[in-house]
Amino acid sequence: MADTKQIDQIESPGPSRNRRIADAIKRNRARATVLGVLAVLFLAAMAGIEADQWFGTIMKALAAGSVIFLVASGFQLIFGLMDVLNLAHGELFMLGAYVGWTVYTRFDTFLDVLVPMLLVAAPFALLPLWRRLGARVAALARWARSAAWGLIVLGGGLMLLSITKFPLVIWNAEDFAKTPANYSVQIDLGTLVPLPEDVFGWPMAVAIVVLLAGASALALGLSSLRKHAGAVPPLGRWNLIGAAGLIVASVALHLVRGPLNDWVFGMSTTWRFFIALIVASLLGAGLGALIEVVLIRPLYDRPIYTLMVTLGVGFVIIETVKELWGSSNFTMARPAAFNGSGEGCPAEGIGGFFSGCSTLVVFGSRLRVYNEGFVVVIGILVLIGVSLLLKRTRIGMTIRAGVQDPEMVEALGINVRRVFTMVFALGAGLAAFGGVLAAPSIGLYTEMGALFLLTAIVALAIGGLTSFPGVAAGALLIGLLQQIIIRFGQTGIHIPFVAEPFKPSPTLVPAASIILMIVILLVLPAGLFGRGER
Amino acid sequence: MLTAERGPRALWRRRRGVVYMALALLMFPFVISLLVDGQGIASVWNNDLGNARFLQGLAIEVFILGLFAISYDLLLGVAGIISFGHAMFFAVGAYGFGIMLKSFELHWVIALLLVGVLAVLQALLFAILLPRVKGLTFALVTLGIAAVFWIVISSSDLAQWAGAEIGLQGVETPVWFLDTTNHRFVFYLLVAAIMLGVYVLYTKIADSPMGRVLVSVRENEDRSLMLGYNTFWFKTAALIVSSLTAALAGVLHTMHQPIVTPNVAGLTFAITVLLMVLIGGAGTISGALVGAAVYRLLNFYLDKWFGGASGLLVGLVFVLLVLYLPYGIVGTWRVKKAGIKEGRARLRRMFERALSRS
Repeated sequence: MADTKQIDQIESPGPSRNRRIADAIKRNRARATVLGVLAVLFLAAMAGIEADQWFGTIMKALAAGSVIFLVASGFQLIFGLMDVLNLAHGELFMLGAYVGWTVYTRFDTFLDVLVPMLLVAAPFALLPLWRRLGARVAALARWARSAAWGLIVLGGGLMLLSITKFPLVIWNAEDFAKTPANYSVQIDLGTLVPLPEDVFGWPMAVAIVVLLAGASALALGLSSLRKHAGAVPPLGRWNLIGAAGLIVASVALHLVRGPLNDWVFGMSTTWRFFIALIVASLLGAGLGALIEVVLIRPLYDRPIYTLMVTLGVGFVIIETVKELWGSSNFTMARPAAFNGSGEGCPAEGIGGFFSGCSTLVVFGSRLRVYNEGFVVVIGILVLIGVSLLLKRTRIGMTIRAGVQDPEMVEALGINVRRVFTMVFALGAGLAAFGGVLAAPSIGLYTEMGALFLLTAIVALAIGGLTSFPGVAAGALLIGLLQQIIIRFGQTGIHIPFVAEPFKPSPTLVPAASIILMIVILLVLPAGLFGRGER
Repeated sequence: MLTAERGPRALWRRRRGVVYMALALLMFPFVISLLVDGQGIASVWNNDLGNARFLQGLAIEVFILGLFAISYDLLLGVAGIISFGHAMFFAVGAYGFGIMLKSFELHWVIALLLVGVLAVLQALLFAILLPRVKGLTFALVTLGIAAVFWIVISSSDLAQWAGAEIGLQGVETPVWFLDTTNHRFVFYLLVAAIMLGVYVLYTKIADSPMGRVLVSVRENEDRSLMLGYNTFWFKTAALIVSSLTAALAGVLHTMHQPIVTPNVAGLTFAITVLLMVLIGGAGTISGALVGAAVYRLLNFYLDKWFGGASGLLVGLVFVLLVLYLPYGIVGTWRVKKAGIKEGRARLRRMFERALSRS
């Protein structure tokens, strides 16, 4: 929807070239003025900072902007393409950080949780079968609903019963010696103490069969509750292979978990960090897809209620995280490649990174390679990657077309619903990815989601709600503003005719970005790079 | 509904709900006192400790939230103005009244009048934005203004007046009927009467020609402009009425609570009011009161019974409410009553317009 105007302009044989340029200038006068004023303000601020601090300030601004961008980008995708304000986005970011921490710090726990999860997922791979049986249940007419709910309760009960019998090496959220906070200290010191080996409460085969039966009953109950339009696809070979594969994989994972844990814990933390990034992103994407299919899809007719649903989901995620990980803050160690502090550190110049330093002095500013280097690079890569995905690939084309005219795209034989699910999954996955990436530099706490979502919304409004690159610009602008204010908070601004230099206090940092947003929106209601009246 | 019928019978038919409600609220503390506490009728007046007194306190909270929600429903449900800065309307009343009483020691009538002036001023501030930014951008700008207000209120620079992050405390009760600790029953009746009075006023506004114009603005602002209505003034009037009501709710909040925390200006509270209106059903006026009651009681009792897990349950309840009561409690009831198809189409149009204009 964002690009219609541009395409029209290119294709229509409009007036002469000069005329078009004149029109473009006229249309963008307000935008150009705002950008000019911002540039002047930026230069003025830079003039007030000592020259050897320039590079550091800009890099720190880029770092802060990158984290904001990672939250805002997924939010923007979901909002810009589907008109859904996903208020659970901050919580997905937070959940990503917590899941990433678990994979990174306690891979054994993650493995133990993964085994029953895969088993639960296995029956859902046989969806056509359940739909067919579900139609039988629905044919019970009067008792159909009770039977369906009965199956759901039965399935849920069996699953709860058997999951507690699976071995699970987990921390204890109440006992401080075993809290995640303590683990994060231990791994910082390099002394991870493995918990005692846990065993099945029931014979292994019984536990697995009961869990599978429970999940099957749940799947059957859910599919007999929903009224499906259209033909049920036949139960293909791939359904069976999928289900069998999931079961075999989970059993195998359980059997080799001892050696696997040893192998993973023996790896460099850098590799573990990448595993954590991938796992958390996939999980975030899966959760996003699930939320879209179950909760958002019935609500496209009444968008404002998606606010309420996503808010509810956010509450549920916060409470679940508090329950599982405890409510105390904890940290995530930086991966080994970015945690070097050998001799001669901090080193001069960028080359110091390759000789094992993670703190460098570049152009007179002290920078941490992870916070101000790696995060920034990844932020830029995500910006380029997602832009390319939307503009250049077939999937991106389908997404944009599906947003513009769902009925036409549907008529061309493309499943638009699946496209929307994919967008939601992509956005949620980006949030979770950002959470893991940000965790080593900002730590983990349950309020981080709400905090960053607010900043992300401000960045989004500044950059323009409809423009994906605009989000990056907004995030960068907020990052710069924050850093400049922090910088001036230390030195103070000399206001003419006032003897005392004015020192902005830390509380002013969020207020400043919000005031910037208000001013920009009043001049440019569509934001810096947004198009059209929105 | 512009009712053509006049006369006492028609009036009774339209207003009997309010009368029944007033009677029920009047009886409520006595019933609780008699049946649950077994303390007798006089104990209500004597302000004895017990369930009756406690439930009156809870009911006062519900009434205050109801006032606040009803003022938001006029903007969101009737006029279709999406504002995320509504918490500021409440907080200006709460903080303004408290600070004027505590730090400037004004007479409470003067303080009340000044709060009214402040409320009108901030409504005008929002009104200035209306023609400039529309739809979702308006929501974001108002969110921003409210967030700045929240930051200022909770900053340490204003600690001597607003009490920084702890909040405003130690406001003396100016007159006996605003005293929630010693004359709770009177305060309870006063707040209930205000709430019912405001409810009657709001239904009158919604049914008046002005309300009709506001609905037409919600449905199609350009067309109302073409028909010759200056929609800006109607929206400004709605903002002023809404702001005054919210400020009144804030004043009562200051009187009822020992501490006014900066949370009443925060984003969470702005979302809370949106939730209350959505739970009850947007644009139904009475739905706002129902939503406030459901929201507060749900929160309170889930927290009491389940403690830590209450957030989880509240979240689940929101999700279920949206899925199974698609237009809020009152809204869905009305839709079912009037014939599903017609009402659904109307409400769907309204929501589509509200967001697609953004």
